[in-house]
Amino acid sequence: MASSADRHDNRPDPDALLAAARQDGRGRLTIFLGAAPGVGKTYAMLTRARKLKADGIDIVVGLAETHGRGETAQLLDGLEVLPRARLEHRGRSVEGFDLDGALARRPRLMIVDELASSNPDGARHPKRYQDIEELLEAGIDVWTALNVQHLESLSDVVADITGVKVRERIPDTVLRKADQVILVDLPPAELIERLKDGRIYLADTIQRAYERYFRLGNLTALRELALRRTADRVDDDMVDYLKRHAIEGPWASAERLIVCVGPDALSEKVVRTASRLASGLNAPWIVVSLERAEREVDDAAQARVDSWLRLAESLGAETRRIIASDFVTELIRLARREHATQIVLGAHPRPRWASWLGTSLADEVAASASGLGVHLVTGEGAEPVPRPRRMSIGLAERARAGAVAFASVLAATLIGTGIDRVIPVPNVSLLFLMAVMVAAIRAGYGAALLAALLSGLAYNFFFIEPLYTFTIAAPHEVFAFIVFLLAALVAGGLASRVREQARTARARAVAVQSLYDFAGKLSGTAKPDDVLWVAVAQLHTSFGHPAVALMPREGELSLAAAWPPDAELGVADMTAARWAFEHGEPAGQDTGTLPSSPYQFRPLISPHGALGVYGLRWGGDPIDGVSERMLLAVMDQTAIAIDRARLAEEAIAQGARLQGENLRAALLSSISHDLRTPLSTITGAVTSLRQLGDRMSAASRDDLLLTIEEESARLSRFVANLLDMTRIEAGTLDARSDWIDVGDAIRASQERCARYFPRLGIVTRIDPGLPLLRGDGVLLGQVLFNLLDNAAKYGGGQPVELYARVEGRDLVITVTDAGPGIPPEDLGAVFEKFFRRGNPDGRPPGTGLGLSIAKGFVEAMGGTITAESPAQPNRGASPGTRMVLRFPVPEGGSIAS
Amino acid sequence: MNGNRILVVDDEPQIQRFLRPALSAAGYDVFEAATGAEALKAAATTAPDLILLDLGLPDMDGKEVIARLRGWSHVPIIILSARDREAEKIAALDLGADDYVEKPFGIGELTARIRTALRHKKGVEVEAERYAVDGLDIDMVRRLVTRGGEPVKLTPKEYDLLTLLARHAGRVVTHRTLLTSVWGPAHGEDLHYLRVFIGQLRQKIERDPANPAIIRTEPGVGYRFAEAA
Repeated sequence: MASSADRHDNRPDPDALLAAARQDGRGRLTIFLGAAPGVGKTYAMLTRARKLKADGIDIVVGLAETHGRGETAQLLDGLEVLPRARLEHRGRSVEGFDLDGALARRPRLMIVDELASSNPDGARHPKRYQDIEELLEAGIDVWTALNVQHLESLSDVVADITGVKVRERIPDTVLRKADQVILVDLPPAELIERLKDGRIYLADTIQRAYERYFRLGNLTALRELALRRTADRVDDDMVDYLKRHAIEGPWASAERLIVCVGPDALSEKVVRTASRLASGLNAPWIVVSLERAEREVDDAAQARVDSWLRLAESLGAETRRIIASDFVTELIRLARREHATQIVLGAHPRPRWASWLGTSLADEVAASASGLGVHLVTGEGAEPVPRPRRMSIGLAERARAGAVAFASVLAATLIGTGIDRVIPVPNVSLLFLMAVMVAAIRAGYGAALLAALLSGLAYNFFFIEPLYTFTIAAPHEVFAFIVFLLAALVAGGLASRVREQARTARARAVAVQSLYDFAGKLSGTAKPDDVLWVAVAQLHTSFGHPAVALMPREGELSLAAAWPPDAELGVADMTAARWAFEHGEPAGQDTGTLPSSPYQFRPLISPHGALGVYGLRWGGDPIDGVSERMLLAVMDQTAIAIDRARLAEEAIAQGARLQGENLRAALLSSISHDLRTPLSTITGAVTSLRQLGDRMSAASRDDLLLTIEEESARLSRFVANLLDMTRIEAGTLDARSDWIDVGDAIRASQERCARYFPRLGIVTRIDPGLPLLRGDGVLLGQVLFNLLDNAAKYGGGQPVELYARVEGRDLVITVTDAGPGIPPEDLGAVFEKFFRRGNPDGRPPGTGLGLSIAKGFVEAMGGTITAESPAQPNRGASPGTRMVLRFPVPEGGSIAS
Repeated sequence: MNGNRILVVDDEPQIQRFLRPALSAAGYDVFEAATGAEALKAAATTAPDLILLDLGLPDMDGKEVIARLRGWSHVPIIILSARDREAEKIAALDLGADDYVEKPFGIGELTARIRTALRHKKGVEVEAERYAVDGLDIDMVRRLVTRGGEPVKLTPKEYDLLTLLARHAGRVVTHRTLLTSVWGPAHGEDLHYLRVFIGQLRQKIERDPANPAIIRTEPGVGYRFAEAA
């Protein structure tokens, strides 16, 4: 057997080690447990605190209730006490524990008295134990005090003993998870003595408190409870110790409980009893809710079952749901799978005759649970939960049902009498049966009942001898009448149930359809923000309440979408939202955290972590089961959709990055090629001349020298271009502002061009009386040279036309070649850096910088440059390209004026 | 005039313009091709003794030219390439190119590489049995390595590595070739083996292991064994 093998290994139980390790980083909780107020918990706590303080431990009193007791108050002297926070809530100002102050102060150990207290309205958490949980989470050790009557699992026992219903209760898990429990004990007689001396509570409340609570019997019982609880704890600690240190021994009993609950009221008692049983046996327990698969569960019942399960969880149980036709079998199967030893269930006392009708659940379980202990919890005066009325409907609805019933019966009566006049019908009752069913289907069970009654009366009155009386003459008619009534009731019931089911099915179909539509809309959205907008709109339509969604932006949670779109969140709402996001748990209305916010916030969690927070402004009622499921479905889908949208965005960004990288790589390789080719040529030619020159002909040597000259010029041009480009890019291009004569600039660039491209023909036409331009003559000359250079490369060897003239208020210079032109799709790109159009032979002749430099220079001088192609559309294969420079004529630039 | 025929494949007219007179002056017959297609055609029709190949051709990747040529020819191929194109160089060498010269290059360097490649072509089948370089003597027949007359103790792997490099003296041998030949096909990527063993070898055979003269590193590509002067 695996388990015994493990034991013989003498290895520590990994779970126990894990639990011990998990404590690291988290604060340790010490609970001072007492049987009743006044046993001296606060006193004990503070005395110890003083001792630790003297040892130099950083200890702060977060909150201590002295109840006006002098000796306790004295103990606070010399201890650091955290100032209480003032909370403004609905105009009132109340004092309370300052959780944020405590977290900010971050002492090694903090004392927070009265574990079971409730916080004032407006605090972050309604209960103090939730505050303490947050302190522990933050790594602060906490000491606190607790009276045993506040434990949830004991609340009914305490009520039985003392007759006082304790309102402030805490889940047993808090005590169970405490790292240390210290019992503060005082014999009851002594406690009563102290009470009489006035050392407990304030004087004027002594009498009342004494009578209601401090009776010897009560106190003794409570003391026993406290002692037993502490003993349980000690036992647990012992088992933990044994497990951690791999000591063989009688570990926790192998008991495991399965506890069944249903929607009935007895189930609450079953849960509490099972909890005590489990803690007494030191056994894990699983609470199972049972539902028949084929039966519809109404929402009220579902809510009750949910509340029992929540109670069980707060008492430390695991919970399951079984939905099956034969749940006895399922239950037994679960018990075997979980190695349960006992089954706990509730048994309503049944009258003896009931056993004739069939066996009870308890009997069935007992019959099949061989080898298992069956523990029955009986209810006293078992009050079954009042059946929710089928027709909990409004007055208008009720009136409508009545009208429908009345109308259908009237119709049946009229038709019946009408037919009866023509041909006597023996089975007129069938008509009334139909009327009942019509009423049932149209208006439900109530209407069916009413219709059945009315039909009975009408049938008797109009059709049964003696006519027009409510009496029946013939005995067989009496029998027929009774059968009719029964049939009408049964048929009405069935028909109304069909109606109910149809209605539920319709509601479900609507919900499913709406989810389906939602999924459809989500799949059409590509951006996370759009997803959120779709989602809040969906929440608003589904529930009719305002919905918001928040996402983290630059480290701060902020409103990302809201429906209605003008929704605003207050400070309290934002705090709740942040809390929900950071802790991954619901906050706000109906939750344990900041319930004063009208919104309930829920974290939106995807497999990749928390994405954001949803908020729903749920008016009044708690969220019911159906809405809850709908909400969960919407949230799941949203989380998935956002995840998907994020991934898509990332993929696009990745693609763009990759494209950018490719472009940069291409640019780099093109620049290095442009620099390297002339360098290679020069190096190769020079070394050839030096090493092999004497073996070459004079012509070869000359040609090599010419190559060197040409390549040097090419290199120098390219470097100059690169430098120009760098200046343009860096924004350090400093265009001088002089008067320039365009004609001079054109002639200069023409001469320069003739040196580089001696074979290029240039036709110039400069209109006489051109105005002067303001600008930089050197830059303009470079622009024109670059355009001519370009025309020489792409102009197909044809002459280039260079014209300058005035058009309106602009001076226009055009450079037109007769080359193959530029395809329209490339026209916009020719001014881009490193854009090069390949030559027909596949060699890119230029550097791809000339035109972009020209553009930079022209723009620096306040002009524009555009490319037009074809320049001469009727020239067939060589339509050419026209570069158009346009400069505004400056004030005083015109010679004519 | 040695009359060896060299096919120069480069799409830059300037490069052709200086290579032609220079290589002619060095005694070679020069043929030219500007594209991959021309190169393949010229290689088939002129039967060159060596091909100088620029990898950046307008019509096809230079590597593809090598792959196609190697389908039917063992003609030595020397790549003209840029320093920053290691991956391309290595791929070309692995495809069967014999050596490479980085642009810009001096004509002396180019002609030295051409001579080495041509010499190896002639001696493809005739393997030397002795290598002597810089005081180091490798006797393949007796599996004896001496340094200034003193025997050098080598592990079998070190010996394999050394002889593999020596057989390709003057030519680059890529990392992958060394790794797969000495350690086996599965170790083609285990560059650290090579670094360690080359380091050990240099300690044993070089005069100044810090400035190796016999086994020179071709950064990013492989190693080159010095040619006997």
